[in-house]
Amino acid sequence: MSEPILSARDVVVKFSLRGQVLTAIREASLDLYEGESLAIVGESGCGKTVFTKTFIGMLDANGWVDSGSIMFEGKDLARFKTEREWLSIRGKKIATVFQDPMTALNPLRTIGMQIQEVLELHKGMSGVEAREHTVEILDQVGIRDPEVRYSHYPHEFSGGMRQRVVIAIAIACDPLILICDEPTTALDVTIQAQILELIRSLQRRLGLTLIYITHDLGVVANVADRVAVMYAGDIIEYGTAEEIFYNPQHPYTWALLSSLPQLGIKGKPLYSIKGTPPNLFSEIRGDAFAPRNPRALKIDFVERPPYFQVSPTHFARTWLLDPRAPKVEPPETIRAMQARYARRAV
Amino acid sequence: MTGNQREALIEVEGLRVEFKVRGGKPFVAVDGVSFRIFRGETFGLVGETGSGKTTIGRAIVRINPAAAGVIKFKGRRINGIIPKDLDREVTHKIQMIFQDPMASLNERAKVDYIVSEGLYNTRNYTDEQDRQAKVQKVLAEVGLLPEFATRFPHEFSGGQRQRIGVARALIMEPEFVIADEPISSLDVSIRAQVLNLLSELQKAKGLTYMFISHDLSVVRFIADRVAVIYKGQIVELAGTEDLFRSPLHPYTRSLLSAIPTPDPRVEREKTVMVYDPSCHDYSREAPHWAEIREGHFVLGNSLEMAQYRALLA
Amino acid sequence: MAEERVTGEGSAVPAARAAPAAQDEMLFTFAQYDEQAAERTGYSDYSYWGSTLRVFLKNKVAVALLVIIVTLLAFTVIQPILPGQKSPTRIYTDPGTGIQLRNQTPNREYWFGTNSIGQDLWSRIWSGTRTSLLIGIFVGIWEVFFGIAVGALWGYVRQLDLAITEIYNIINNIPTTILLMLLTYIMRPSFQTMVIAMCATGWLGMARFVRNQIIIIRDREYNLASRCLGTPTARIIMKNLLPYLVSVIVLRMALAIPGTIGWEVFLTYIGLGLPLHIPSLGNLVNEGRQAMMSPSLRYQLIFPAAVLSVITISFYVMGNAFSDAADPRNHF
Repeated sequence: MSEPILSARDVVVKFSLRGQVLTAIREASLDLYEGESLAIVGESGCGKTVFTKTFIGMLDANGWVDSGSIMFEGKDLARFKTEREWLSIRGKKIATVFQDPMTALNPLRTIGMQIQEVLELHKGMSGVEAREHTVEILDQVGIRDPEVRYSHYPHEFSGGMRQRVVIAIAIACDPLILICDEPTTALDVTIQAQILELIRSLQRRLGLTLIYITHDLGVVANVADRVAVMYAGDIIEYGTAEEIFYNPQHPYTWALLSSLPQLGIKGKPLYSIKGTPPNLFSEIRGDAFAPRNPRALKIDFVERPPYFQVSPTHFARTWLLDPRAPKVEPPETIRAMQARYARRAV
Repeated sequence: MTGNQREALIEVEGLRVEFKVRGGKPFVAVDGVSFRIFRGETFGLVGETGSGKTTIGRAIVRINPAAAGVIKFKGRRINGIIPKDLDREVTHKIQMIFQDPMASLNERAKVDYIVSEGLYNTRNYTDEQDRQAKVQKVLAEVGLLPEFATRFPHEFSGGQRQRIGVARALIMEPEFVIADEPISSLDVSIRAQVLNLLSELQKAKGLTYMFISHDLSVVRFIADRVAVIYKGQIVELAGTEDLFRSPLHPYTRSLLSAIPTPDPRVEREKTVMVYDPSCHDYSREAPHWAEIREGHFVLGNSLEMAQYRALLA
Repeated sequence: MAEERVTGEGSAVPAARAAPAAQDEMLFTFAQYDEQAAERTGYSDYSYWGSTLRVFLKNKVAVALLVIIVTLLAFTVIQPILPGQKSPTRIYTDPGTGIQLRNQTPNREYWFGTNSIGQDLWSRIWSGTRTSLLIGIFVGIWEVFFGIAVGALWGYVRQLDLAITEIYNIINNIPTTILLMLLTYIMRPSFQTMVIAMCATGWLGMARFVRNQIIIIRDREYNLASRCLGTPTARIIMKNLLPYLVSVIVLRMALAIPGTIGWEVFLTYIGLGLPLHIPSLGNLVNEGRQAMMSPSLRYQLIFPAAVLSVITISFYVMGNAFSDAADPRNHF
């Protein structure tokens, strides 16, 4: 593990909405290493989709990257201005799988054509060669009788199958990075498990680097090597999956984990956080999570915490890790997890 | 605490619900479903999309008509055509909480009207002051501030909107509440809020819940008994811990194996079982619904029943 | 560990940097936790009608036309009471010769000139506009109330669907022109006949439209919730369904007026319009058409056509602009 293949530093993304300016991403930084699977976890409105859209230049027309840098293959993606610059990256080097397969596919064309078109465009393959390759890819994503299903239309597939087709289109060009934006949220649990397995096996086979966006911590535990937790446009904690699940440090991560019913004790109330995420139109002073944090320190309202190191791979943006901060006990469920981790680590 | 001693609030027998399809045979959404819900418990109904779980809930509140079968509330039949006073009682005592907080509130009406709508219908208040007092009381019970009554739904977050939906159902002083995927559309941290609220209300008011969900982990946390439904038929019904510890039907087992757990080590090591309906051979003998152990029901033919019994032994 | 850039797995920004010196101890104590404040963070100051108005006002063309139409309407109302106005039906003769002042081009006496039998075109045009607008308004109001009522019941009450669909199909399949011609022929042309005939056919479009919209929103969860709570059908239609349709209803209303005038012009053209002694835009256009060929008399067509065009275009544009503005997706 040496240099990251994608490195975002202090990215600020703003949107112009109703005459006002909204800061959707507030100086977020991220490193992506080759072959790994990084999950970005957060709730709706935290900015995880917006952040990854900057990697492929698909921000809405009223949004822009205000400052920061996104280094990929020696170029700064944040500085790209024209569509032409993005053409060599989007779909070719960085591909995306979106949440809703129904709207991601063109209902008027066969799925085979949709995959083939990508091959012809980006890889310059001829018709026959492209068709053969397409059938091969369909087989790879687990669609039975690919020869026959090549000429089927999206509405002839079930939800899970459609998502496989979308994944096929995404990997058709051998991209370096695959961004999966909540690809299984709309699917049933059993189908979700199968799709996750498919993504994992494709990653192994093709050597993909994966960015997985989700709000479902169970999915994160399944797919991710490393996890970045996002809140109000900022990455507030990141580390390996085991570090985040077994030894979380940020109060928001605590809240997220302890509010899961899987970790709840029947009969006792689940740990929950009051209130809603902050208004991103106004400037946020200090830690964005402070107003909802019953254990907030005064400094949380004054100054934004820097990253504190918990281990060479685990960092969290919370003043609680400052040596001067009082000792705060995480919720019971987290303590139980930490105890288990400590035992296994030994 | 055997079944005989508890009062069965809701009894469903052989329920069948069909939907008309243009130019063809009607689509059977629910096919011969039977179960009982006892007073004071939380009954979980789990299934994937298209399994018919929402349809069952809607049939009980009389939104969807039943093509066959009987639904009884406190011993009296409530499906089909019923006398007006029974209809009024059902409106009063059986209420529903809906899934999508963005779609389940009338955007053009104030919260005050939304919450009082049921009161206006049953005229269950003495005068304007009484009505307002009831609205305030119920808003406080769900953790909303009193000034919210004069606002419109779009000014609130998903969790708050869902709580307005709960208040709307609660003001009717129901005995039985059907919660149709009440937290699926909410953010992770807000789900806990709403789940806690539902539990508190149950304890405070002695409510009985039917909790419909596709999420087994939530159901495990909140339900006392669980029914698993697959393509319009209930395949297994048991006490929650009993179901999770000894699942019998292959569909139940595959569902359990697929639940995501927030523990990386567990997740990496698990294998997912895929349910293949062709593993059942019902050509010679149709499956029947039987109690294989006390409180534990399963759908299967005699051969499978024998297998299940062997497993439990 | 402080200032260096750590590379390797999980490279980071510098960890603990130089921290605030003096009030250290105080800052690292717990802050007051206000639970209610957390509950309040979601408030947004959005008002549906306010935003609708704002979006509408941004459309400069629509606003300009609105001003024009309002002025026009106001003028048709106050024109008769202004000083120096002539009677629209009186035939003016030259005081000296006693000959009818026919086909006078616009001059200082007769601002819009006179028609082929010596009537003042200026007052005829305003009188005619008044009549046509009145017909349009009557029919428009009928269309709205009756059309919406039928459409709402048609769409919401499933048992009525079949019956009303048949009635609709029967009336709709007869070409409107033939129906209107038949009705005016039977009842003899007059103001009331016009109104009744057009009311008989005008409600169809609105009813169908409302019915389709209601079918779309009928089974949304908030309507199911109302049914669960025992809300009667009438109140569901009034409070749950119609408020969503306001924008489309206003649009159809706005289009009803020029539509009616259009039909009236057509009927007059084929001779089944209002009797000649009642000036209307239809009559005026018809008269003007007859004079169209000679260039000196073209003014007789241009003036009524211009008024008709302004009215039609204004209502269309305004109606569309309002409908767009009322769509929440266009609100910013």
